[in-house]
Amino acid sequence: MPYLGSEDTVRELRRHLSNPNVQSDPLRYRSSILKVIRAMSQGVDVAGLFSEMVKACATVDIVQKKLVYVFLCSYATLNPELSLLVINTLRKDCQDPNPMVRSLALRNMVNLRLPSLAEYVEQPLSAGLRDRAACVRRVAVLGWAKLHNLQPASEIDAAVVNELYGLLRDPDPVVMVNCLRALEEILKEEGGMAINKPITHHLLNRLGQLDVWGQCEVLRVLQRYRPQSESELFDILSLLDASLVSPHPPVMAATLSLFLVLCPDLPAVSFAALERVRGPLLAACGSASRETRFTALCHIQLLLRSLPGLMGAHYKRFFCGYAEPAYIKQRKMQVLVELVNDDNVAMLLDELRGYCTDVNADTAQAAISAIGRIGRSYSDQCLQILTGLLGLQQEHITSAVVQTMRDLVWVCPQCSDTVCSALEGCEETLQDSQGRQALLWLLAVHGERVRSAPYTLEGFIDGVRGEASPGVKMELLTTTMRLFVCRPAETQDMLGRLLHHCIEEETDMCVRDQALLYYRLLRCGMEETRRVLGGRRSEPSLGVLIGRPAEPISQWASSFNTLEPLKQGAGETETTGRASPQHVTFDLDSDLSDTLNSGAEELDYVCLEERIRCPAVPHCSPQSLQAAMQLVNIQTLAFTAAHASPWRVYLYTHAQQAARSALILGQLLYAGEDEDEDEAGLSEGPSPRGREEEVKVTLKQRPRDEKALQGFLSILTAVLHTLPFNTH
Amino acid sequence: MSSSAIFVLDLEGEVLICRNYKGDVDMAEIDRFLPLLMQHEEEGLLCPVLSHGKVHFMWIKHSNLYLVSTTNKNSNASLVYSFLYKIVEVFTEYFKELEEESIQDNFVVVYELLDELMDFGFPQTTDSKILQEYITQEGAKLEVGKSKVPTTVTNAVSWRSEGIKYKKNEVFIDVIESINVLVNANGSVMSSDIVGSIKLKTMLSGMPELRLGLNDRVLFGLTGRDKGKTVVMEDVKFHQCVRLSRFDSDRTISFIPPDGESELMSYRINTHVKPLIWIESVIEKFSHSRVEIMVKAKGQFKKQSVANNVEVRVPVPSDADSPKFKTSTGQAKYVPEKNMVVWTIKSFPGGKEFLMRAHFGLPSVENNELEGKPPVTVKFEIPYFTVSGIQVRYMKIIEKSGYQALPWVRYITQSGDYQLRTNV
Repeated sequence: MPYLGSEDTVRELRRHLSNPNVQSDPLRYRSSILKVIRAMSQGVDVAGLFSEMVKACATVDIVQKKLVYVFLCSYATLNPELSLLVINTLRKDCQDPNPMVRSLALRNMVNLRLPSLAEYVEQPLSAGLRDRAACVRRVAVLGWAKLHNLQPASEIDAAVVNELYGLLRDPDPVVMVNCLRALEEILKEEGGMAINKPITHHLLNRLGQLDVWGQCEVLRVLQRYRPQSESELFDILSLLDASLVSPHPPVMAATLSLFLVLCPDLPAVSFAALERVRGPLLAACGSASRETRFTALCHIQLLLRSLPGLMGAHYKRFFCGYAEPAYIKQRKMQVLVELVNDDNVAMLLDELRGYCTDVNADTAQAAISAIGRIGRSYSDQCLQILTGLLGLQQEHITSAVVQTMRDLVWVCPQCSDTVCSALEGCEETLQDSQGRQALLWLLAVHGERVRSAPYTLEGFIDGVRGEASPGVKMELLTTTMRLFVCRPAETQDMLGRLLHHCIEEETDMCVRDQALLYYRLLRCGMEETRRVLGGRRSEPSLGVLIGRPAEPISQWASSFNTLEPLKQGAGETETTGRASPQHVTFDLDSDLSDTLNSGAEELDYVCLEERIRCPAVPHCSPQSLQAAMQLVNIQTLAFTAAHASPWRVYLYTHAQQAARSALILGQLLYAGEDEDEDEAGLSEGPSPRGREEEVKVTLKQRPRDEKALQGFLSILTAVLHTLPFNTH
Repeated sequence: MSSSAIFVLDLEGEVLICRNYKGDVDMAEIDRFLPLLMQHEEEGLLCPVLSHGKVHFMWIKHSNLYLVSTTNKNSNASLVYSFLYKIVEVFTEYFKELEEESIQDNFVVVYELLDELMDFGFPQTTDSKILQEYITQEGAKLEVGKSKVPTTVTNAVSWRSEGIKYKKNEVFIDVIESINVLVNANGSVMSSDIVGSIKLKTMLSGMPELRLGLNDRVLFGLTGRDKGKTVVMEDVKFHQCVRLSRFDSDRTISFIPPDGESELMSYRINTHVKPLIWIESVIEKFSHSRVEIMVKAKGQFKKQSVANNVEVRVPVPSDADSPKFKTSTGQAKYVPEKNMVVWTIKSFPGGKEFLMRAHFGLPSVENNELEGKPPVTVKFEIPYFTVSGIQVRYMKIIEKSGYQALPWVRYITQSGDYQLRTNV
């Protein structure tokens, strides 16, 4: 066919369709209609042919009818008046002796999506509900749902709703399931259809007759049912046991979801159900479809949150195949990290090392950061691998390794010696800004032990003019300052050059301000500088979060078997692997705000400081504190160990305030008895007598929202007061 | 599950065909799909769900097509993927190959099928056997006024229509097992399992009642009986025609078969299998000069059996040149576009051992790019043999008219995902 512009095509087609000779020859007429549909599929605007096509639907040829209906449904909303002409043909078809014709007409009548046609549609739909052919009833039932969807404001007649309830007992399984779907849609405002005991038992009994889609629908609807007695609950559960190990992953997932919702108060039953689905879930992980595999992996991650030991013995099932897509490999690695134990650690690390040289750079980086995560518990083996990887001198690998080492050293200070000796010379392979920031951070914290540190820094400072990333520049400033504190003779000259450049020539405000800040700090004297910059080098207490306590199932039960798990944690390895080292700047900020008010206005956004009387807090276990906080949607970031002094907890929450969400960061500080004097000097607290029973709360938020802060504080106070007073 | 619309796109992101089921998501949103896909791929965050604002795209790729379902609800992901794969399955049964050309050539049938498969975002009739009853490609031929009502829509047995007739009544039973193996570079088996299926080709008249008996070595994981020396099947799936209640009570597989080809059951056995063809490979790479490859293949199965069409695929560096081969049997061929040597052995008796040596030159200027370490893969087929030991004991065929029918049984073991990692 020669290329024709869309107008030419339409004109050509119209000529064909209105030609009486063509109309009288059914074959030619149908082929003209075919051409229209083909043009429509190819994206040509054929809306202009509407009136010709309306005529074409009066035919006995069922295929032609279907094609014309496809056309009409696509363009009806543009031609509501002309569509009125179709309704007559459609209503006539609803009386046709052939059930296929009846169902086709009925379906398309509603698919026109014209609210103005509603009055003509209701009568055939009602008749359709009582049709003797199941295929017509199927269409009619869903037709009511569509009608409601079209005009959500208008009520569907109660008689119809009753009839739909009645059709739940229809012999045809698809009619029954469609009834469920329709009722759910029509009664959406009332929270869905009524699920009482007879309906529940009826649905459960017919579960066996349904196809996969139907079973999932029923299982989902039943989640709203609350059994009246424990024996009824167990009857239901034992009925569902077979679907729990169904070979169809969707059915299995839907059943598990129902189990978890039905028995929130019976953790033993839930855990038994999780054990039971282990086999089918593992099978889904080996499914031929990558999407099913991916979905299964995401859901396994959910389960592991509550039952970390669930897959321990099956870790080999999560080894990656060579040709698997990156998203599956990365999820598998996340699972592998969770499964590591003394017996399999050697095997697992060996496997992960193989992935580090993957052709896909993201997979390689994910593998490296996975090794870093395992390194928190098995540091020697992991460091050996990481150091070995540096020898490959591959840009992206070196960058990922340095970042991983930074994260590792922060939690495991005992690794620092090995890391320091490994760092020598790797600045030559580092290209990306994140890798270089990580290297600078490491030099800042452990610079006195890296022999070549000043030379490395010198290289950076010489190239600072050509440096594009402000992040690297800021990190460079901090590093040079900290190195100056411990190795002044070697660094003094370059620090001067760097500060001069950043203050006089730098255009980025953040970099310039930080340089100014350090300059002022230096003027306060060496002692002051040392005190401010000597931040902590590690946070071993973060270890508490690594072996995190098993969460209650209710934490994730509601998101099970939806889209959510697929979206969650997608960037998990990314954030652990690539986050810029906030820890050091965070530390600096809070310390600086006390001493250097003149230079640091924009860094300082402490919003609220409050003291809460709460004797229990420092003595209660991190787990119970974390659990208590999570109940009110406060997430804990990190703890110091119990009984440590000073004792801190970092936490955050998302406050939902009038459609915009605001992040609140908080710190609980229990200074303990010995630091009383210091603290008292800084703020006027109440009488020193009650001091040891108080916790200092510091909240940060930007932009500041007084109401949200006060609300959060009152919730926090309430939670802290409910804590049990247990002294281990 | 709720799917607002289904799209079939070509690789350039052009819509080939689409169906708007719910009308609650703007159909123009699909234009964002491919750019989104590209962007995620670049960032290394590609995943089977992509989101743009409130719209989620769930997609699968099949040959040169994307099948996309859009939704604005937090819907059930696994169900949507199952449905998309169901579409692929149904279309493939209709058009043999599902690809851009077949969609374009058959768009009438595609429209009809999309109409029947789903309504208002809910899957309706998805069994291709039933669909084929009333949506036929002969629809292109004209048959005015003579559209028959499919019997299956009202039938008690939805997968078989009445009144089928054959001159010669026969059933062909294929027992096919494929082996998945992953072997580490140091020669330890990391994982292995068997995926089996029993396929039927039924050419029987009327409404026959069939009973299939398997040997006792195979126990079904479902029944949870003792696990002595038997092979325990996990994950057993039956065709909907099998009466599960009968199976649960006395483990007989009884059914009224669908006409023509169908899969009666499939199973998986997760057990330690000795790799049937064992490969030892030594790949020595001398930078800037040459690569030397030595591969030893050993048949670790019964002497009486023979593996046919064995293909050993050995990876070579992408910049290798001037291949030289020496084999003790079969033929070796260099396939430069896939960077591998394919060593083909037409027939490989059990217990035998064969050797292949290959020599490649390497350029003196080294390729800087990092290359992955692709594994050695093996393809083979062993007839008259099953790894699990499953056997068909009997197949009883009973029909009202009392005709005699012959069952034919065939066993094949073949390679599935069969990978042996290399040390280079």
